[in-house]
Amino acid sequence: MDYSKQIQEIASKLFADNKIDYFIGYKQNSFDDSQVPILISDPAEIPKLVFTDNSVFNLTNYLKPDHTKRKRVGLVVKGCDSRALNLLFTESQVKRENVYIIGICCEGVLNEKREKAQNCIECIMPDPVVYDEMLGTPSGKKEYTINVDIKELAEKSLTERADYFDAIFSNCIRCNACRHSCPLCYCAKCCIDQETSTLYNGANTSSGAMHALMTWSLHLAGRCVDCRNCEKACPSHLPLHLLHKQNESVIYENFQKHLAGIEKDDRGAFYKYSLSDPDDFIL
Amino acid sequence: MNVFIVETDKTGLQKFYEEIIGKFETYAPVEKFGKYDYKRVSKLSECDPDSPIETTMSVKPLFFPKTAKVMKFTEDSSGTTVSETNDDPLTGKRVILGVKHCDARGLQVLDQVYKWDYVDTDYQKRRENTLIISTRCDKAGAQCFCTSLDYDVENSDAHDIRIVNGLDGKIYIQAITEKGSTFLQASGIQHPASVNDAVEEIKKHYQSFNASFRLKMNYTEVNAKLQNLFDSPDFETVSSNCISCNTCAFICPTCHCFKISDEKIKDTGVRYKSYDSCNNGYFTLMAGGHNPRPVKYRRWRQRAMHKFVYFKERFGVNLCVGCGHCAISCPVNISIFDVVNQVAKV
Repeated sequence: MDYSKQIQEIASKLFADNKIDYFIGYKQNSFDDSQVPILISDPAEIPKLVFTDNSVFNLTNYLKPDHTKRKRVGLVVKGCDSRALNLLFTESQVKRENVYIIGICCEGVLNEKREKAQNCIECIMPDPVVYDEMLGTPSGKKEYTINVDIKELAEKSLTERADYFDAIFSNCIRCNACRHSCPLCYCAKCCIDQETSTLYNGANTSSGAMHALMTWSLHLAGRCVDCRNCEKACPSHLPLHLLHKQNESVIYENFQKHLAGIEKDDRGAFYKYSLSDPDDFIL
Repeated sequence: MNVFIVETDKTGLQKFYEEIIGKFETYAPVEKFGKYDYKRVSKLSECDPDSPIETTMSVKPLFFPKTAKVMKFTEDSSGTTVSETNDDPLTGKRVILGVKHCDARGLQVLDQVYKWDYVDTDYQKRRENTLIISTRCDKAGAQCFCTSLDYDVENSDAHDIRIVNGLDGKIYIQAITEKGSTFLQASGIQHPASVNDAVEEIKKHYQSFNASFRLKMNYTEVNAKLQNLFDSPDFETVSSNCISCNTCAFICPTCHCFKISDEKIKDTGVRYKSYDSCNNGYFTLMAGGHNPRPVKYRRWRQRAMHKFVYFKERFGVNLCVGCGHCAISCPVNISIFDVVNQVAKV
């Protein structure tokens, strides 16, 4: 998978036609294989743009006003990233006319061990679901499978599972990198940052970490698109996807096979009401 | 002080470690989820004192914990009663194995803050009661630049005992401080090396280590130039892809900002002191609603200038120790090395 040339051509055309103010893409690190996101406002920087199997970061995170100040943006998205875009549009965070989307038919990106990432193996939608221009050949929607780690964890005893999650929460340093790297966490003031609240504990304790991570994962239930930006950002290497994948599997079973952001105008599982909802879990 | 060096081999070193772990309260890098963090160990097999620098957290939390109790309080009809918290679990006599040289230097830098103005007695107690055993890295990591800064890594006195894996296959254990010397002489390991040869080998090892650095900085020039670059527009460019998370500050061995928060159930509660970071958007938010650093380039400017200019001005030492932890853990790989070099244009 290498679309660097095509992306550079499209970006220079967009700047020449004055269609965008910023272009968000990937840049190669000089000393190893990894890539970093780059925000370009000057066309002279276009030759730095690349796209390969190492383009892991979900760039829709940069559509937050902090970074691109609600200006016109061109950006590169993979299948999972484009699902996040769909949600950002329906949640009125980004205006469709303000973004020019280059969708990549993704063949899966690599993890730190240089193998195909787990979320890419289990990917349901490798093709972009929303785009202005598509690169590559679409391979279509895949069957939903339950995450292997969730299955493995479900077979363990309650105490083993409790110990496992205790380890996660006690190793959390509460830097909130997971929240900041999540494209769908855009609240101007997050509830877990409320210093004066007695409901949310600001202290960096294990119980505080549990509170923060559980609240965070529930706010993303039915919205998480499994891009794993959070997990890649975590300095303690915590398996944060477990929280999201568990929510996803429960929602898939109980909310008419809902998967976040696949369809246009998707509002997330909890924000959609339909007369045909089974409602059998409500007393 | 006499130079006291012991020479040994792999098994000898393991015996030395095992003896320490058996006799003292020992902390060492323990792996969990692919990342090493300094934890209490009871067996050598639980830990890896030679853990790679790329996946090891800093030793800072053992001296400045990620969260610490400040006080307890209870409220009743007569008012609020404030009381002391329980004893600090980290103030006992202890030994830390496998501390990296840069991390140990980080503690020396932190000492400046903790003994200036307000003296943090808990921190002082933890420092006094701790013996630091440090292994010198054989090779620099991709983000390391400790040798480029204002301290001498070769003759660093930030640790009590230094372990060097000599190029000749021998392992040298050298006492650096008085405390380390007493400790080493009292330990079971007694094969004093011929001092001149050992010093020569340790020097050779340093030369090969020094040659393995990818990053080299002209510190004096960077520091001098940055002093006049507060208004540089480059801060905006270099921080454009920062996502304003707090990772860099939380894992930094020398960042020392904290916040105060209460955990309260009904009428009783505990006040905690936990890490905070200047990269937070609300870090400088004032009661009236004004925020002097509302945008991320101003926060990055504060971070870079504090690390390379302000702290040096006030305390005479550079706050950044060049460990590269921030660049390794940064979700978007921003390195403070690149930031200061690009802004100072050195």
